[in-house]
Amino acid sequence: MCHQTVSLVARHLEAHGISTVIMGCARDIVEHCGVARFLFSDFPLGNSAGRPFDVESQAHTLELALRVLESAPAPRTTMQSPLRWSTDAAWKDDYLDLTKLTPESLAERRKEFEVVRTIARGKREGV
Amino acid sequence: MTEDGVPIPYMQRTRDYYLALGYSPYRWAHFTEVPFTPLRMPLARARVALITTAAPYQPEAGDQGPGAPYNAAAKFYQVYSVSSASLPDLRISHVGYDRRHTSAKDINTYFPLARLKEAVAAGRIGALGPRVHGAPTNRSQRVTIDTDAPELLRRCQEDAVDAVVLVPS
Repeated sequence: MCHQTVSLVARHLEAHGISTVIMGCARDIVEHCGVARFLFSDFPLGNSAGRPFDVESQAHTLELALRVLESAPAPRTTMQSPLRWSTDAAWKDDYLDLTKLTPESLAERRKEFEVVRTIARGKREGV
Repeated sequence: MTEDGVPIPYMQRTRDYYLALGYSPYRWAHFTEVPFTPLRMPLARARVALITTAAPYQPEAGDQGPGAPYNAAAKFYQVYSVSSASLPDLRISHVGYDRRHTSAKDINTYFPLARLKEAVAAGRIGALGPRVHGAPTNRSQRVTIDTDAPELLRRCQEDAVDAVVLVPS
């Protein structure tokens, strides 16, 4: 939900005179929502600002975002960072991979999700 | 197998996953019109703010360390702001980042404040706003649009920023 949240916020800021750029890893969610400027890194969720313990990668990622911020000619400008997470794309298959889940583990996950929902609801309502 | 160079289809994966768990399909936000504000001055003279979805560390709220399991108790439901002068301790155990391929050990992968300060020091950016703002991640698009986004706008206007870098975790 993080990518959708910042997309909705960016749209609101743009509509009220503030320029924005999103740095993110979930291309489809941001583009489906529709935003002014987006620097896309094809990295696992959690690495929107560059690779861990790699200052050069982080500085490069920020610099690309700043360039998009200052030079995008029109809304829906997406730039994809040329940096690669790994030479092997296998990591992309693991996220919410249903093929590895048995009916039992699905039931288990549903139970966990309900617990999480209850905790979140309690916190939201200040219980 | 995801083809090399093709981004993960997150909307489809999420839809399939929650369907398999027995929930109805989530409707992702979609708009045909996209608002756009050109940057009004050179970036070297602009004041820039950072908006994050990371959460302030709460010692009483359980494991929020690197690789911690999803921790709903660490979630927040109101916009928050912290000074940008220091480097705040912000964590991401409350969101669905890729726990298998990411440790979240380095805050700079999801919160680029240190890199932004370097950009200011180098003269690339005019200045940072006095505060960093936190956006609550919410399944309710209505709450984000009607409550959180206007509050974040108000705080950005208060800080007189010209541009905002938004970083989802």
